[in-house]
Amino acid sequence: MWADGKPIVNSLGTFLEIFLQALTAGILIGAIYGLMCVGLGIIFGVMRVINFAQGEFLMLGMYFSFFIVVGFNLLWFLGPVLGPYTGALLAGPALFAVGYALHCLLISRVTGASVVGTEGDGHYAQLVLTLGVALVLQNGCLILFGSTPQSVRTPLSARAWEIPLLYDANASLFLNKARTVAGIVSVVAAIALYLLINSSRLGKTLRAAADNAAAATYMGIDVDRAYRIAFGIGIGITAIAGGLVATYNPFQPYIGLDFVIIMYAGVVLGGMGSILGAFWGGMTIGLVQQLSTLVLPTQLQNAAIFVIFLLIVMVRPQGLFGRATDRI
Amino acid sequence: MQARRSLIAPLLVIASLAVAWIGLGLIVSNSYYQLMLTLVPIWAVMGLSWNILSGYTGLVSFGHAAFFGLGAYTVTIALVHFDITPWLGIPLGMIVGAIAGIVIGYPTFRLRGQYFALSMLAYPMALLYVFEWLGYQEVPLPMKRAAPAFYMQFSDYRVYIALAVALLVTSLLISLVVERSRFGMALIAIKQNEPAAEAAGIDTFAWKMRAIVVSGAIAAAAGGLYAVVLLVVTPGSVFGMLTSAQALIVALFGGVGILWGPLIGAAILIPLSETLQAHLGDVVPGIQGVVYGVAIILVVLLAPEGIFWRVRDYVQRQRPPSALPVMPMPPRAAVVEPALTPPRQRKPILSVNGLSKSFGGLRAVADASFDVSDGEILGIIGPNGAGKTTLFNLLNGYLQPDNGKVVFAGHELTGLKPNRVCRLGIGRTFQVVRAFPRLSVLNNVVVGAYATTSNDADAFAAASKALAQVALVARSDTIAGGLSNKELRLMELARALAGEPRLLLMDEPLAGLASQEIEDLLALIRSLAAQGTTFVIIEHTMRAMMRLAERFVVLDHGRILTVGQPSDIINDGKVIEAYLGQKWAAIRAHG
Amino acid sequence: MLTVESLSVAYGGLTALREISLVVRAGQFVSIVGPNGAGKTTLFKAISGTVQPIAGRITFDGHDLLAVAPWQRAHFGIAHVPEGRQVFGSMTVMENLEMGSHPQSGRHDWERNLERIFALFPILAERRSQAAGTLSGGEQQMLAISRGIASSPRLLMLDEPSMGLAPMVADLIFERITQLHRNGLGILLVEQRVAEAVQSCDFGYVLDTGRVVLAGNSQTLLADDGIKSVYLGM
Repeated sequence: MWADGKPIVNSLGTFLEIFLQALTAGILIGAIYGLMCVGLGIIFGVMRVINFAQGEFLMLGMYFSFFIVVGFNLLWFLGPVLGPYTGALLAGPALFAVGYALHCLLISRVTGASVVGTEGDGHYAQLVLTLGVALVLQNGCLILFGSTPQSVRTPLSARAWEIPLLYDANASLFLNKARTVAGIVSVVAAIALYLLINSSRLGKTLRAAADNAAAATYMGIDVDRAYRIAFGIGIGITAIAGGLVATYNPFQPYIGLDFVIIMYAGVVLGGMGSILGAFWGGMTIGLVQQLSTLVLPTQLQNAAIFVIFLLIVMVRPQGLFGRATDRI
Repeated sequence: MQARRSLIAPLLVIASLAVAWIGLGLIVSNSYYQLMLTLVPIWAVMGLSWNILSGYTGLVSFGHAAFFGLGAYTVTIALVHFDITPWLGIPLGMIVGAIAGIVIGYPTFRLRGQYFALSMLAYPMALLYVFEWLGYQEVPLPMKRAAPAFYMQFSDYRVYIALAVALLVTSLLISLVVERSRFGMALIAIKQNEPAAEAAGIDTFAWKMRAIVVSGAIAAAAGGLYAVVLLVVTPGSVFGMLTSAQALIVALFGGVGILWGPLIGAAILIPLSETLQAHLGDVVPGIQGVVYGVAIILVVLLAPEGIFWRVRDYVQRQRPPSALPVMPMPPRAAVVEPALTPPRQRKPILSVNGLSKSFGGLRAVADASFDVSDGEILGIIGPNGAGKTTLFNLLNGYLQPDNGKVVFAGHELTGLKPNRVCRLGIGRTFQVVRAFPRLSVLNNVVVGAYATTSNDADAFAAASKALAQVALVARSDTIAGGLSNKELRLMELARALAGEPRLLLMDEPLAGLASQEIEDLLALIRSLAAQGTTFVIIEHTMRAMMRLAERFVVLDHGRILTVGQPSDIINDGKVIEAYLGQKWAAIRAHG
Repeated sequence: MLTVESLSVAYGGLTALREISLVVRAGQFVSIVGPNGAGKTTLFKAISGTVQPIAGRITFDGHDLLAVAPWQRAHFGIAHVPEGRQVFGSMTVMENLEMGSHPQSGRHDWERNLERIFALFPILAERRSQAAGTLSGGEQQMLAISRGIASSPRLLMLDEPSMGLAPMVADLIFERITQLHRNGLGILLVEQRVAEAVQSCDFGYVLDTGRVVLAGNSQTLLADDGIKSVYLGM
């Protein structure tokens, strides 16, 4: 085979092309997963709440975007390209309100100062309560919206940019336009959130409440209100990610389940309590998922994510960026 | 005095339930209701299985679908590929479920609370994808017209009802045995306070593994029967989240940690959701999920441990409180005064040599060395943060020292787990007493006897003896939730004594007691010491300790400042400095 | 300024404080000493709102503190420097100070307070961008105190500031605390190291098993042998 160089270059070239394709897909999808994980990461980082219903809020974000863009066509003036992305972004504040309200009504009763010292510190109750919320949301939406898959199509969904690869005239990289834009928007949103959390007074208040709730109270910070806001933001961010996913992926009320484990794997990988870590964690999961298509059949990709999740939890529970002192 | 609750009542209830259920099955002819009569027991069995692992131990599992699905698929694959009848397939499935329990439990038990629950969620979901990939999207069970009964296929539906009831009765009996034996007690102890259970000699890891093996086997049996009844298996229906959720909800709704809980839960929730599904399912698909979701939310908010407990607590509150007199301590004259051998002449029973432990950069205990003589009462004192509790944790086995050795009665303790240390004869009481509030005092104490007795009768005898030693016998049958502070401490002491320790480590036993109660406890400790038990006590209430301890070890900043008799300690300049500050003497001198 | 009247606190069947009464007047330095388990930290927690008393009153400048949520109390002018420092380990020194200035009074005087803090503890200026969790024990204590000052309080409450610190560092901390007092700040100090606490104070209370067993000004307490017996149980 060495004598005739061409075949080896070709097969290598083809492999490289497929590899680069998977890599770019992984980066783009990873960015969106990263955004989702950041949403969950805020909730877990600030409040130490495991929200089983996070996937359902992703789903609600998708439906919200769908209804204002397609269903009620409220954004007709923005055109077919800007409309869906604006819809996705608007899902943020809308679901922030939903999350804030949900926390006031339900979540706060099983978290926060009132349960410290009870059996298991209320963790058990949180887990189960959010499971209940997940079931209600999933099936409630099934009732309201039906099981027909929907999507928020844009003209970009079916088109792709072609980037020629320099080493071979015939090889090129296809970037699905919808995914690419979604990925970019995700990164922008994540950066905006990072700036908010790091530099704004509100963000610092949330970080203080997350770091040491008792000390924060001594400083005069209303920690319960901080929790409500953090929960709302976490839900809102994940909803935006949902709206973005909706532009290239069809969805139905049960789609949350597919993403819950991705979000948790990403947050745990990145290190609970680190927003930056959550983003990188999500990115890594996306990369792993897309790269695994090179070696695994489709159905096993998701199983691979579970295996990774289990490995992380057993081997390095504090994740890549988490503090080693974080007790499990 | 009852050593344990009679088994007759629950057995009667189980028997009558079984008879009633089968009777119902004989009457009902509508096939839909017949299906329901079959499903309720199956889900009750799932709930019982969940209860055995999660209800008693408090380790919430969101992944019981893994065992259920494995059981279902074992039966299915055995029948489809190997022509093995479900009569054998179900027991085979139970073995698979048990093995899965070991495989899953071994790595996952190292995780705490939330991580445990999340990981348990991952297993069935991973299996779901694997089975889909393997090509088992939808597997119908083949009809065996030649010999249907041999293959567990019956035209008369009522046989299925009987089979389901048989499985339920078996599971109830297993749960009953678990609950009433030391198995259940060990699990409850783990839930209540795992470190304390370890210190009492319970090998917590071993018991958790046993729990998951039993739980997995039962869940697999339920799955196997489910496959036989429904005649078609899909990955989603057996490995899906709803299955795990149902196992959890049924137990949680009805009552966590008690035999009857899953029965109540299944009897209420399954008919409710199935009926709604049947009547409204076309119009409102997903009504089942909504019902379960709402049920969970309501239960968590209003009756966090399930309906059974809520009702029972309410009923018990209505009853007038039992008029038991407060048990007086034995009169002083009856207390045996301390032994005549002066401390110096007794042999050392515990030797600590060069013990050190650091956390990060902080030296919690630095190069500690001292001996404890057999039968003495040694006090460990020192200002806040001196390292006293860390020292105890090192002696007990909760922490491994960085350096140094601990030798007890000829055995080296360094590196042993707390339950092994307990079995060698060291007991421990804790500052905060975590009792099992719903169990009697006797049942609270018996846990401490498991390490040293092999059967339940001996364990209860040891527990009663310990209660006699602390003069709490009159309260043996009182529910622990109603005890006073002092009685709780006595119960905690009895639990440690039930293991017949040679040496007892007590962490701040006098905290929160009134002065007369302190006197009583001091007298008790003295009399126990006279009977041969060695005591090592951490305490802050100096006045009391001065009269109790024969010797003191004074710690400061992790180091041993001095060891000596009370009169020497009080006047030791270094000790005064440790407590009152370096400048005390200087200031006073200038004063 | 701060008045505690007949305060009783109990949890889980244990009575931690029995009818404690004490007063801190404007600009006064009051020390509270006593052995472990005497209830000193419980007293602090009751004032800052972490625990609810079963009887008694706490007033600050006429405001009934018990009627107010814990997080609101800081806004009245009380700063709490808790036991074990409790700095926000994942945030920088500057961010910690910013959090300290959360109440209105703190934000108003931010520039001036920052100057004073850096003059008092120059090392904090050096380390201003460092994560608080990486500071040494002594530096963290300085940060915790500075955080308290950043809210422009009228009363600074300190819970065992010397715990876990090397003697020289603890001496420095004490010196700074007395300096703050000389500049007009009211101080309520809980300490296990009796010598310094009693020497520097205007008035002191000795607690034992939840009760005040001795009270008096600095000289009275120093001359009294009773303190030693409270600690060593003679």
